[in-house]
Amino acid sequence: MFFGVNIPHFHLLINHVPTVGTVVGLGLLLLALVRRNDHLVHSSLEVLFAVALLTLPVYLTGVAAGEAIEDLAGVAREAIETHEAAALWAFIGMQVTGLVAWLGLWQSRRNSRASRSTVASVLLLSVLTMAMMARAATIGGQIRHPEIAANPEAIEVGAPTGWLTSEAIGGFVTDFPWVWPAAETLHFLGLCLVFGVLLAVNLRILGAMKGLSFAALHRLLPWGILGLAMNLMTGMLFFIAAANQYTQNVAFYWKVLFLGLAGAHFLYLTVFSRTWMLKVGEEAAPLDKLVAVTGIGLWVGVIYWGRMLPFIGNAF
Amino acid sequence: MAFLTWLESSGLSVWVREGESIWAFPTILTLHTFGLGLLVGASAVVDLRLLGIGRMPLEPLRPLFSVMWGGFWLNAVTGSLLFGADATGRGTSAFFLAKLVFVAIGVVTMVSIKRSAFDAPPDAPAGSPKLMAALSLAAWTAAIMTGRLLAYV
Repeated sequence: MFFGVNIPHFHLLINHVPTVGTVVGLGLLLLALVRRNDHLVHSSLEVLFAVALLTLPVYLTGVAAGEAIEDLAGVAREAIETHEAAALWAFIGMQVTGLVAWLGLWQSRRNSRASRSTVASVLLLSVLTMAMMARAATIGGQIRHPEIAANPEAIEVGAPTGWLTSEAIGGFVTDFPWVWPAAETLHFLGLCLVFGVLLAVNLRILGAMKGLSFAALHRLLPWGILGLAMNLMTGMLFFIAAANQYTQNVAFYWKVLFLGLAGAHFLYLTVFSRTWMLKVGEEAAPLDKLVAVTGIGLWVGVIYWGRMLPFIGNAF
Repeated sequence: MAFLTWLESSGLSVWVREGESIWAFPTILTLHTFGLGLLVGASAVVDLRLLGIGRMPLEPLRPLFSVMWGGFWLNAVTGSLLFGADATGRGTSAFFLAKLVFVAIGVVTMVSIKRSAFDAPPDAPAGSPKLMAALSLAAWTAAIMTGRLLAYV
């Protein structure tokens, strides 16, 4: 409970962001291509990256909301499971879109525009993601809104089928005991990559390694995003396979909050002009140094809350 | 073995293992994770650069070695405390001994990279920093893998 808003309520507050956000991002991108405007392409990529960040809490709180309402009267339980499976596809689509959008932003920072193949990939991915989001949202709406169905009898959408469902992922982790430790190993390697790269970049802003321009260290950022992507994948594997360790875990929600802010800070490091301009030997502005300290603090927070999952929270 | 038993039953080890305080096992383990991120993260940046990622000059990366040593000593201290809390288990575990070997290789590559790529006069034969960088990445990956597996085997 935060200010009287519990987790299922929070899901309802933010669950339109991915659906509306993909439409806005895709619309901006189409407009940019029609107008041949690179700045607008840039903005649409930023919107899509931000929507990908915001989709993470939507998915996570959705699982908690499902657990909370599945036994209530008037709730179509099968629809919850189908919604969850559809949402997982949409979530993955959104994260891949956000990742490629990030690559486009990194390219446009370095070469003043994103490569054509990157923009084309983002266009294709965001169309697919929008379709998957629309499907997830439609099924989600039927969980508790019989008034929107033409035929209320048809609401029982049926249990989800297909190979990518939370049941299938949970079964995979249970059937193969090596999966969890292997994913933990990757999760720690990813931690080192993203933490090491961002530490170096932030330390440069703070005045260490002034013999390097910011642009030189900016070259390392794809390795940071690789670490982040590894940890998103392995982290989602843990969450989906053992959701009940996390959905009631206060340390987990703190971790997600810090992660979202750290993701926004990653975007700032990728695209912001004033730090990008720092030449060899130049000193950053005090405000930028403050932001760099904050960035390091955010990642320390992510690691802290992650490590405290079993101690402050109740995981494992 | 008598030493390991004594160590495990010492007051400090009992506190680390059984202390109810958040400052006991949870905080020591968290600090161990921060040390890991500092040591391996900073090493990875230097290794990636030596392997050809980015054409930035090498010399300005020197302060990262302070980060690595900071992480190393943090983990030497927190690692000793964690070892003491489960001395008879860890001290007889093949995984733990393997982890120590990998950490040792990692530290040797780190010192060697510092000497050959940073401290050597420019005209001295530089050895092969690329090989050392690859070995360093491999050693830290193996150390993390064996360290993580300790929690499961």
